[in-house]
Amino acid sequence: MPSSLVWGAGIVITVLVVASLAPLLAPYRYDAIHLADRLKPPSRTYLLGTDEFGRDVLSRTLMGARLSLFAGFLATAVSLALGVPLGLVAGYARGRLDEFIMRAMDVVMSFPPILLGLLILAVTPPTIWKTAVTVGLVYVPALMRITRSVTLGLAQEEFIQAARARGERPLYILAAEILPNAWPPIIVEGSLRITFAILLGAALSFLGMGAQPPSSDWGLMISEARPFVDGAPWIALAPGLAMCLTVVGVNLLGDGLREVLDPRIAKRGRE
Amino acid sequence: MTGSPLLDVEGLTVQYETGRGPVVVLEEVSLRVREGQSLGLVGESGSGKSTLALAILGLLPPGGRIRDGRIRFRDQDLGTLSKEEMRILRGDRIGMVFQDPLSALNPALPLGLQVAEPLIYHKGMTRQAAWREAEALLAKVGIPRPAEFARAYPHQLSGGMQQRGLIAAALACRPDLVILDEPTTALDVTIEAQILDLLEDLRRSDRLSLLFISHNLGVVYRICDEVCILYAGRVLEYGPTQEVFARPRHPYTKGLLASLPRLTGRAREARLTPIPGSFPDLAAPPPGCIFHPRCPFVDPRCMQEVQRLTTDRDGRLVRCCKAEAVADLPWPAPAARETPRAVAPPGDPLVRVTDLRKEFRLGGFWSSLRMQPEAGRLLPFTWRPSQVRAVDGVSFTIAPGEVLGLVGESGCGKSTLGRCLVRLMDASDGRIVIAGRDVTTATERDLRPARRIAQIIFQNPDSSLNPRKTVGQIVGRPLTVFGLASGAERERRVGELLEMVRLPRFYASRYPHQLSGGEKQRVGIARALATAPRFIVCDEPVTALDVSVQAAILNLLADLRDSLGLAYLFIAHDLSVVAHIADRVAVMYRGAFCEVGRVDEILHPPYHPYTQSLLSAIPVPGAGAAERQRIRLRGDPGTGGEPIRGCRFHPRCPRKIGAICEEVPPPVLEIAPGHQIACHLPVEELKAMEPAVVVAG
Amino acid sequence: MLAYVAKRLSYIVFILVLISILIFAITQVLPGNVARMILDQYATEESLRALEKKLGLNDPLPVQYWRWASTLLGGSLGTSLIMERPIAPLLWTALERSANLAILSLISVTIVGIGLGVLAAVWHNRLADHAISVFTFLGISVPEFFWGIVLMLVFSRYLGWLPASGYAPMSEGIGKWLSHLLVPAATLTFTLIAHVSRLTRSSMLEVLQSPYVRAARAKGLPERVVLIRHALRNGLLPTITVLALDLGWLIGGIVVVETIFAFPGFGRLLIFAIQRRDLPLIQASILVVTAVYCLANLVADLLYAYFDPRIRYGRASR
Repeated sequence: MPSSLVWGAGIVITVLVVASLAPLLAPYRYDAIHLADRLKPPSRTYLLGTDEFGRDVLSRTLMGARLSLFAGFLATAVSLALGVPLGLVAGYARGRLDEFIMRAMDVVMSFPPILLGLLILAVTPPTIWKTAVTVGLVYVPALMRITRSVTLGLAQEEFIQAARARGERPLYILAAEILPNAWPPIIVEGSLRITFAILLGAALSFLGMGAQPPSSDWGLMISEARPFVDGAPWIALAPGLAMCLTVVGVNLLGDGLREVLDPRIAKRGRE
Repeated sequence: MTGSPLLDVEGLTVQYETGRGPVVVLEEVSLRVREGQSLGLVGESGSGKSTLALAILGLLPPGGRIRDGRIRFRDQDLGTLSKEEMRILRGDRIGMVFQDPLSALNPALPLGLQVAEPLIYHKGMTRQAAWREAEALLAKVGIPRPAEFARAYPHQLSGGMQQRGLIAAALACRPDLVILDEPTTALDVTIEAQILDLLEDLRRSDRLSLLFISHNLGVVYRICDEVCILYAGRVLEYGPTQEVFARPRHPYTKGLLASLPRLTGRAREARLTPIPGSFPDLAAPPPGCIFHPRCPFVDPRCMQEVQRLTTDRDGRLVRCCKAEAVADLPWPAPAARETPRAVAPPGDPLVRVTDLRKEFRLGGFWSSLRMQPEAGRLLPFTWRPSQVRAVDGVSFTIAPGEVLGLVGESGCGKSTLGRCLVRLMDASDGRIVIAGRDVTTATERDLRPARRIAQIIFQNPDSSLNPRKTVGQIVGRPLTVFGLASGAERERRVGELLEMVRLPRFYASRYPHQLSGGEKQRVGIARALATAPRFIVCDEPVTALDVSVQAAILNLLADLRDSLGLAYLFIAHDLSVVAHIADRVAVMYRGAFCEVGRVDEILHPPYHPYTQSLLSAIPVPGAGAAERQRIRLRGDPGTGGEPIRGCRFHPRCPRKIGAICEEVPPPVLEIAPGHQIACHLPVEELKAMEPAVVVAG
Repeated sequence: MLAYVAKRLSYIVFILVLISILIFAITQVLPGNVARMILDQYATEESLRALEKKLGLNDPLPVQYWRWASTLLGGSLGTSLIMERPIAPLLWTALERSANLAILSLISVTIVGIGLGVLAAVWHNRLADHAISVFTFLGISVPEFFWGIVLMLVFSRYLGWLPASGYAPMSEGIGKWLSHLLVPAATLTFTLIAHVSRLTRSSMLEVLQSPYVRAARAKGLPERVVLIRHALRNGLLPTITVLALDLGWLIGGIVVVETIFAFPGFGRLLIFAIQRRDLPLIQASILVVTAVYCLANLVADLLYAYFDPRIRYGRASR
């Protein structure tokens, strides 16, 4: 069991548990205002200090974990749900269908990710769930491509030819012959995408296009902390470090998964 | 031959670090190459022969190290040299030719530069001087128009040209020793023959010393003075080639030689002699003699004593405690075929193919555009896609229970033809009728009954089984798809099928990665048999297997043919393999048949010129090989895309008459009923050809 | 090669058209009622109808698209709703400033990123490789906006070396110009160096273990020749593609970084436009920048084809 997998899984599981139990762990409500205690540094009453409305930074960070994490997972789930079937079909069917799907994905991929996200979110009142779905859509082409490339390779294998020689239906071949062999690289790519999704989601929230106040999404917290950053750095540091930790954990997990699922690539290097 | 040997390997032991701990890949290997001599290193896959080459060069991959032993080159212990000194030796005094020429060449650099590099860095030549010398070297290895080819990039060259280029690079600094690791394995047999001719000439003209690594006994017989038989990292036998092949002492050598398919007209009656069992697991080698689990002469002593290399009375080195006792015994021949061949009742052929054509379009939309400015045209383009005719008007029939062998080199279209028959590809034109049904354009639903009757076996055992399914699921799937059996009945059937291919029933719960190559191939056969087919397309089923395993699979296929009355289209590039199983043979070249006939008719004159050169090119170990006619083809098969007007063989034909061969498609001459040759040469001339092989029986 | 170029060029045109349609579709079709979206809380029946008339929103969609597209093709980028000024000069100024950041960043990323990647591959599994790996790992894990705030804190507030925001053109002196660029550029660069060096490293590792590199070593060539002529040449080819992808991340980073540092470039302009619901400005900015990104990818593809003899010289076999 590679060490990266162990550490990564450890961190991710911890964060997940904390996020799930956040309402129980947080000493205060995330939106509870204590105007008398504004901008206080970390102390025993407020373990990570307070922000400009006197809200407890620790509680907000803990609750923010749920938002950021779940948004990241939702986004990745959307990418997988759309990208994998498209990739399977494109890689197996080839020809016109493949061309069409690839061109459509090319159009989406021609946008720098954040621009596409901003474009979609600009025209509708943003909420964190819309942001998550948007981020998911942005990364559909990436997952589609990796699925397609794996499928292309597998479609050449002789056991697929044997299945076709039996007259198996394409749906069966995709689901029962190709997919079980295709999922390792897809899982690896998917785990990588979770970090991208969390980061992109946080960036969009930072820009005001994601969660809205008084939510304690980490990106939003950092954005709100900006004016106070030299006087009260803890307001920005807490969510920032939490995000770093989470992303580091997911990356380690992804690296570890890659080593386990495809040692040949892992040996060559990360990415 | 005076003094000490050029290369002296003594007691070399090499181990690799693997996930399961250190594995010894070479155990106490000793060999010698003298000046002007060539030593052949023979072994099947996994024997460690490539590792030996890398160890000599000091290029073992990370995780590999020399645990013991010494390698001396010109009296210098290579282990004492620094990395820099070793580097200087490589390429300058020791040349290396790797197996796959395309991957050994840097795709981004022209060939000439890659040949010139050793000259620049070892001999200190200037770039221009080295380039000129490189051109001279390319000419020496038989590349036409060397100046032009020196500027070409590897992907623009054919396999034969690439390999010649690699040989030129290895020879650039006039090394003392050249190591060749399976240099001709990736090449077609006619090209292989050219390269071997080249190597023989170079040996004579330059007094080259060679260490020639190969699994092909025939090739080694041709080129090497001495031979060293390697098995699982141990030297089992070592001596002069002629003698080792004529009178093998070690049981493994006997087994190897016995399992070779031979070109005989009666081959299909005889059974091949396989070596039973499979390669040992080097991480957990068997106690005692490494070969004893597969040895027919085994006795208790073999299982306990570790064998040592001893010199026997003739100076031969053998690693076997029973060498003396079994010295003159042959490998036990298999029992004669029990089931007599079922004679097919006359009637309709099972498979009838008429005028089959399959074309592929080359390149995409844009590469098919051609610039053609013409007055009166709106756009200066025409759209003319290049087509390659993989199969170009082929017709034949196969009777029930009959085996038609299909022989040809790479790119001739034989695989494409096979796949068209089972509708893995759709034919562009022509008709395919199987058991009375026209399947050429049938829909999937209509194809169902035909799919039951006609199945296919593939070449590559690693690719033909789904790694995530168990053997039982793989073999049982056709039963489910065709609704033939389910539940317990299905399990029973699966067990039966496994037994039919001589695998134990409990293999049903195993996964492919737990099986050896031969076992995987058997599973593929069992899968094909599941629907009780009457016709099987065998697409190079033994090409990817070691020789000793090949024999077992061929025997199995032949026995199944007899017991089940199966008909095969047996596709291969090796005529000697085909001779053992086929009733009739079709020789294919670039999309069309050039000769069709019974096996004994094909092997004797009259031949099509291509058949003659194919037969002549096959390296055969054994006496009489030197006296064989050398009929060589010029050039390479080419890739097609250009339209063919006359005979498709004319650019390479050694018997080309003249313009008629270029313009007019050759007529199909009926030499005897069922024996056809497509050639412009008159029948008398064809009959007067020299036999290309000495055929026993 | 010529065929390849023609193919790619025509394809780009096709994609640009599709992109413009997509932008149009998202901004004018998705929200349902565009006028309501723009006016937001100031929407009354009257003002809605007036705006719809002004923007021509009652015409069928293809007509609206055509109107927009033909304006673009005519060379004008439209007029900003909020500022009631032509967009083009606004956008060009903003892009020019952002380009300062982008170019500075790209140069550093290319040199440092590729350099680190190559070193890590050559010294595979040694201390340098592990150190670089840790560094790049952090680089891809830390979000840019966080990193930017930290840098700003350190360099502007605590050390006071560099200004925290704003922009100064080169005409006011190189030093001043650079001082405004350094911290934002550093923020951008750190993340990108991490990405580029990881990809370079894995590409180089693959090449270093390839058969032709082994064959080059077997010829006894000096290690530097093996590295430079054989390994680098082929290993860096995918890096061209990576740098083009890089530009995509860069653009994303620019939007964020300019917001943090109040840098008056394209990113700030876009956010401003989004907050004010200035539709024409949003459409024009995104279209222009996406087009730039596409072209950069095209250039990368063509460069790649130029350097890879398999594409350049085709399959003419002898």
